[in-house]
Amino acid sequence: MTATPSVLPDTHNRLNRETLVKWAPLLVLGVLLLLFPFFEWLEDFRAAKDHTYLVDSRFLSIRNFARIAISASPALMVAIGVTFIILMGSIDLSMEGTVSVCAVLFAFLFLGMGGTMGSWAILAIPGALIVGAAMGFINGLVHVKLKIPSFMASLAMGFVGTGLALLLTGGDRIRVEDEAFRSLLTVRWFNFPIMCYVALFGLLVAWFIQSRTTLGRNFYAVGGGEELAKASGLNVNRVRIMGFTLAGVFFAMGALLAVGRIGIAETATGNGFMFVSITAVVVGGTALWGGIGGVWNTLIGVLIVNVINNGMVVIGLPGWVQDGTLGLLVIAAVVLSTDRRAVSFVK
Amino acid sequence: MSFIKKFIEQETVSRRNFLLASAYGVAATAAMRMFGPSPAMAATYSDPTVAWSYRNRTNPYWNEIVSGGEAFIESLGKDKSALTHLINEGSSEKSLADVKALLAKTNGELALAIDTNDAPNARPVVESCVEAGAYVSTLWNKTDDLHPWDFGDNYVSHMSWSDEGPAEQTARILLEAIGGKGGVVHLGGIASNNPAIERLNGLKNALKDYPDVELLDAQPADWDTQKANEVMSGFITRYGDEISGVHCANDTIAYGVLEALRAEGMDIPIVSYDGNPQAVGLVAEGKILATVFTNPHWGGGITAALAYYAATGHFKPSEEPNEHREFNGPTIFVTPEDAKAFKASYLDDVPSYDWKDFWGPSNGPIVYK
Repeated sequence: MTATPSVLPDTHNRLNRETLVKWAPLLVLGVLLLLFPFFEWLEDFRAAKDHTYLVDSRFLSIRNFARIAISASPALMVAIGVTFIILMGSIDLSMEGTVSVCAVLFAFLFLGMGGTMGSWAILAIPGALIVGAAMGFINGLVHVKLKIPSFMASLAMGFVGTGLALLLTGGDRIRVEDEAFRSLLTVRWFNFPIMCYVALFGLLVAWFIQSRTTLGRNFYAVGGGEELAKASGLNVNRVRIMGFTLAGVFFAMGALLAVGRIGIAETATGNGFMFVSITAVVVGGTALWGGIGGVWNTLIGVLIVNVINNGMVVIGLPGWVQDGTLGLLVIAAVVLSTDRRAVSFVK
Repeated sequence: MSFIKKFIEQETVSRRNFLLASAYGVAATAAMRMFGPSPAMAATYSDPTVAWSYRNRTNPYWNEIVSGGEAFIESLGKDKSALTHLINEGSSEKSLADVKALLAKTNGELALAIDTNDAPNARPVVESCVEAGAYVSTLWNKTDDLHPWDFGDNYVSHMSWSDEGPAEQTARILLEAIGGKGGVVHLGGIASNNPAIERLNGLKNALKDYPDVELLDAQPADWDTQKANEVMSGFITRYGDEISGVHCANDTIAYGVLEALRAEGMDIPIVSYDGNPQAVGLVAEGKILATVFTNPHWGGGITAALAYYAATGHFKPSEEPNEHREFNGPTIFVTPEDAKAFKASYLDDVPSYDWKDFWGPSNGPIVYK
């Protein structure tokens, strides 16, 4: 035996595995980006058409990346919101209701105060963010003060939100036609519509909160070990309520981008965000038991889900195969991107 | 404009026929009364509860249906809140459970208008109503072997829409607009839904006459604007400029498609279905080439009216011919030339219908394949 400390190789191994798990989501994304062009190539090869792999790919084009980015932008905002909650080891399922309420109230305020970005109607944007914050705040209060598990409290708040949106609209859809607001979609800088840059800005803000503020560090503290955090004098309840409020703000941003994308606010605006956002967070490598992961993981997760969705249509997979395939790919992505050896049990 | 004129004429004529028919009916009933009541006669009620059972209110289509039901209630001189709403949220179990609960509460004194959410659920719903002595009219969903005339008076009627023909006609408008050559894509509803299947079949039928047009792809968009938006983006990547026209299974899908095209700065013809007010507006602006109006307001009102007037004994369903018990709802084409006139006469100012003219605007008996 040499004098080398016996712990060293172990540490080295663990580091390796950790590094791998850390970068696995990105690896999955990379594989997908090569996989879909392969199917395109295969199709053209069978049809005996000229097709150089990757170079002639329609999937791997800037225009298509812009399309993926457009569909990912609203989902990214919602997923970032729920990332903070999952980091705390809780879950927030209120996104569909909150997005609908924010979208509908934004549309009402925007149209009611002039209907153009050049007027007071611009105040509808902070208005929507405040509404989102309020919904999240109530959500947090219900969870913490009434001691209802977060998944039940937030699911119930989500239903309240959907009901409220329905009550406000009476089931109608509200069109937001203002050219300046719709420039979120129609005006492009460097091939990407403005809404993608807004989402990028939201991501940077979230990253700042996560890594540079006490609140962000407290999320990790609560998720990593709530008892410990409490014993260290952290007001866990306060952190939770603030977390839900913050999530509400990001849901509202998601709502604004969703309205920007299709120009319609309705009760159904929130539909589908629950699946996409939770899946994206988990696929991105943020652990559902809290304490591990972050907003960059979520970005990768959202991109994975949207690349899969877009890619399946691009390679011409029949509709009835798509849902099943998405489910399988999500399981595969989770298997690859989370370190399940570190958890002793799964519930 | 001509279609409106035709429509009004058709209605006037059929109303006259109906008045005559109902006069005969009254005379016949009076004659029968002289010989004592028929033993098979179902009990009628002076003031039955009127209920509408449907999926949800997040969809403009069901909103229109309900507005018709409410307009009918108001025609009885009641407040529209007198209409009982049973909302099944897409669950057949809830639909049946709600109906049974209401039957128990009203002791069978019920006039029920219902879409049973899926076809197999129609039989248990109808049987429960018949057993309790209530009157039921169904809309959209029922199995082909279930017929109102097999249940005496209590299963009053069934109304549906045959979408294949109208969808074929909108497809023809689209195929003409692209000059009879190129490629088209179809974005459909939930793949297993009957109207989704029929509307795609309509397109396929039309394509048979246009050998130079290729159906590039058909994918389900689940009647959802955002899903349609994403599916259309995928289509644009896959087919790019090969797409010269889009056939949408309904208006909510068309909105998503329009926005996907707008994001790309593309402007190609699209056709749609349902005739929602905003879609009609888009037709008037020339952004959608054609849509089909199925008059859900009338459908919602008349389904409730049929059940109600059968329950009060105003008419006796078993004395009506089969085509009055199973019939197709109206379909009206909306194209840019008549969109404005159509909007003015149907949507901006919803016409007040004669809710005793049960079959005037209807569109012939249901034909089984």
